[in-house]
Amino acid sequence: MQVGRYQRHSLIDWFDQDKVKRSYFAIIGCGAVGNEVAKNLALLGVGKLDLFDFDTIEIHNLTRSVLFRESDVGLNKAEVAAKRLKELDPSLEISVFPGDFWELLPINQVKAYDSVICCVDNFEARIKLNDLCLISGTNLINTGIDSKFSQVEVFPYKSGKHVACYECNLPISAYERMHQRYSCGWLKKISYVEKKIPTTIVTSSLTGSLATANALNLIRTESQNESIRILTDTFTGRSTVSIIEQNADCPACASMNDQVSLLRGSSLINSKFNDFPGHDIHIRTSEPILVSARCNQCTQDSDRDELIFEKASDFDSSIATCDICKQDSVEVVIKDVFSVNELLSGFLGKRIPTKYIRIDTENQTTIIELETN
Amino acid sequence: MSEINVIIRTTDQTRKAEVSLDSSNTGADVIQASVDNWALPTDTDYSLVSTSSGKTISPNASLGDSSVKDGDVLEVQPVLVAG
Repeated sequence: MQVGRYQRHSLIDWFDQDKVKRSYFAIIGCGAVGNEVAKNLALLGVGKLDLFDFDTIEIHNLTRSVLFRESDVGLNKAEVAAKRLKELDPSLEISVFPGDFWELLPINQVKAYDSVICCVDNFEARIKLNDLCLISGTNLINTGIDSKFSQVEVFPYKSGKHVACYECNLPISAYERMHQRYSCGWLKKISYVEKKIPTTIVTSSLTGSLATANALNLIRTESQNESIRILTDTFTGRSTVSIIEQNADCPACASMNDQVSLLRGSSLINSKFNDFPGHDIHIRTSEPILVSARCNQCTQDSDRDELIFEKASDFDSSIATCDICKQDSVEVVIKDVFSVNELLSGFLGKRIPTKYIRIDTENQTTIIELETN
Repeated sequence: MSEINVIIRTTDQTRKAEVSLDSSNTGADVIQASVDNWALPTDTDYSLVSTSSGKTISPNASLGDSSVKDGDVLEVQPVLVAG
């Protein structure tokens, strides 16, 4: 470690540069807030960073993104951010994942991070990331901005305590908004224009600073055992810090046992499924599956459903139109809960097309992350 | 069921009202009434916080179950989605 580089940090009595150097973070989303968090962590001297973003740089990003230049337009955000961070600190170990974190980030890898910092721009990605952090027991720091307010939420899942999760206080309207992107339950709409939220570097830089400060605080003290939300009005400087209350009906954490075991297994549905304790046990898939489709004009016989068994999000609402009669008369079956019996009798030899399956028994939640080979 | 007298305000404090609410009302009910009465932007999502206790109130939790009492100040906060 370059002692001279961190000479000013060494004057701070609570700042443990060695601990910071040993720390390892993931930044999900390398847009406005992600730029700020990444820049701050690099300058503080963290050891390792993993950057995730599938998106490319557009000219309008440049008003809020300290790591991007005009010549970067069209390039992947995570790749460009990594290049600039290496200029800031050549000793920083960075891995770049230019794609969807849900596809690229194994749950075991999430466990390796001190914190995951969520800098994405939609509810769906936040819910998925919350799932991964909750399952793996890894701290999650969620961020959000608009043109005036800055929001940072800290979920200390590493504390071992049952703390509130991201979904515990998510408004009902957020789920409704999320479903507006889909039709017929989880089929993508053919045409959906996402609302653009105006933001400035003022809110993103403040949010990046607060998120970084909290990430630092979690590696420094490890004593935080309540989830909190910091909401700041950047016009007035007024800030409120609230404890996020647990929700007994939370769709993400309420049914999850304190005892979570994480396994890896084949996605292939075969006779090994007989080993599950009880054939009536329910298996929940991490994403909804489009099980089957049938045109109720052309095919009256329900036994002649077309078996699909693929991720519902891989399809759009055009599947509702029958190829033969050209009517919008195709009925689809979409599910995310199956019994072992159902899988063995209806889908033997098929692969479960989701990231993981979850089995809740009285005392334990078992997560099996699925391998495709 | 009982009535609770509380102050509801927006985060920027441009809107504020003293109201009597039934303790069976949920966090979501209070938010919806605030959005309707104050014509708050409907393309934003909101969360309810008791600034008196410093705790959030879950959308489906009643005010009574959330230990909201007379004189408490409830703040309707935006839930931010951009990054």
